[in-house]
Amino acid sequence: MPREEFQAELDDLRDAIVELGRTVLAGFERAAVALVENDTEAARAVIDGDATVNRRYLDLESRCIDLLALQQPVAGDLRFVASSFKILTDIERIGDLAVNLAERARDKREDYLPEVNVDDLTGIAAEMLDRALDAYAAGNAAACRAVADQDDELDGLCERVAGLVMEDLVGREVGHEMGDDLMAGVRRLLLTVRDIERVGDHAVNIAARTLYMVEGTETLLY
Amino acid sequence: MSESSLTDSEMETGELDESTAGIDAGGSTTTDGETEEEVQAEWTDYSFDGEPKISVEDLDVWYGDDHAIQSVSMDIPEESVTALIGPSGCGKSTFLRSINRMNDRINIARTDGRVAIDGQDIYQDGTDLVELRKRVGMVFQSPNPFPKSIRDNIAYGPRKHGDIERGLLARLLGRDEKAEEDRLVERSLRQAALWDEVSDRLDDNAIGLSGGQQQRLCIARCLAVDPEVILMDEPASALDPVATSKIEDLIEELSEDYTVVVVTHNMQQAARISDQTAVFLTGGELVEYGDTDQIFENPESQRVEDYITGKFG
Repeated sequence: MPREEFQAELDDLRDAIVELGRTVLAGFERAAVALVENDTEAARAVIDGDATVNRRYLDLESRCIDLLALQQPVAGDLRFVASSFKILTDIERIGDLAVNLAERARDKREDYLPEVNVDDLTGIAAEMLDRALDAYAAGNAAACRAVADQDDELDGLCERVAGLVMEDLVGREVGHEMGDDLMAGVRRLLLTVRDIERVGDHAVNIAARTLYMVEGTETLLY
Repeated sequence: MSESSLTDSEMETGELDESTAGIDAGGSTTTDGETEEEVQAEWTDYSFDGEPKISVEDLDVWYGDDHAIQSVSMDIPEESVTALIGPSGCGKSTFLRSINRMNDRINIARTDGRVAIDGQDIYQDGTDLVELRKRVGMVFQSPNPFPKSIRDNIAYGPRKHGDIERGLLARLLGRDEKAEEDRLVERSLRQAALWDEVSDRLDDNAIGLSGGQQQRLCIARCLAVDPEVILMDEPASALDPVATSKIEDLIEELSEDYTVVVVTHNMQQAARISDQTAVFLTGGELVEYGDTDQIFENPESQRVEDYITGKFG
């Protein structure tokens, strides 16, 4: 029966996207640990794994296009395929951000501002992604809104790190003679924080598209 | 005993009323737990700028004991395409035919309610049916040209309708009646995007045209009497994709000057060509009516969702 087959394809697509999301989440968590523990092996594994993520991303994207072309979905089915198509991009981007973190873990230097606990930030970002994937899998609107709320917390923490960097630099009274090592350390920390913050944004995007899928509302999209 | 059962049923009725009066749209659940969707008034309330071209109020149509249309109200804006969709037997064609009183021709059909065009009730006593059907033209599923020349097919209506005045006017103005007719034939065929294909064989029999050309000829014939509303009952269902696409293009063009109402079984077609879509479901009930993109992206009614996504039963 075509309708049953179509439904099975939709269910398969959802499962495959959640699975890819879980793979990317695992990579992100691994990169986060590598970053803190200076684990270059783990960092390499994350970097190498990105090719697989990209391949599966393209495969799933083309499955969405096939469904649009062959089934011409409407209403809830259309919202599901359209949302999934967008969510795939967010998942793939999170994969890239995990690679960024892993690359920074690989060429680890002396820690700048060791009192900043990057773990706290990656922990929140990972939890947001985890919840967003669950919300997508279950079509849970309330969970989508919770992910968006959690992003405020992450953004606040990230901003605080930037503030600490400013304070530190002012305290060191660095002027034109800011050394290369210090410069690299500052740059590394700020980029890391920005990447983690971006992971949170992508998790919110996943939640926003899921909310559109479930309710047809665009309230979380911006 | 009887008193208490009466009270029970009153209570039940009360509960049901309460649930249907809820502000939030959605399926309501009857007391025995069976999900039964109540149609919410706001699902069929479609508001737009300007006066409606067609205004239907509490329309009921029966075929004998069969209640084909149940208390349908809807306003249709002018110069737009309104698609009527729904499963076979949902009453969409009956509804379409009620807009130019074609159901009058069916002996057992009985109509109740009001259908107004430009605010004027067409079911009022004394309505001139010839005049009405001139204003409200109709195109059917199978092309039905007369077995006459292409020219005669187009000129037939005007000759029958306004012919005498037209001829008189032409003579008064010192114009050639034949030239007037030629102009009308050309204009109608051009409007129906058929002129280029038939201009050199206007005297050929229309039966020799392809199905798609015949259907455009029927549209041209309908346009020749200068209608305001064009009703189409599955105008492309008997045509191949190329001919279908020509009809669809034509419908879109016509909507710049005419109010077009189309019944179609092809939901993709409804999505492509219409500005508004009305969904009828079994039992002659209008369940949802609104902007076409809203109906196909995010319908309010679960039954409409199930119907358009193909989830039956």
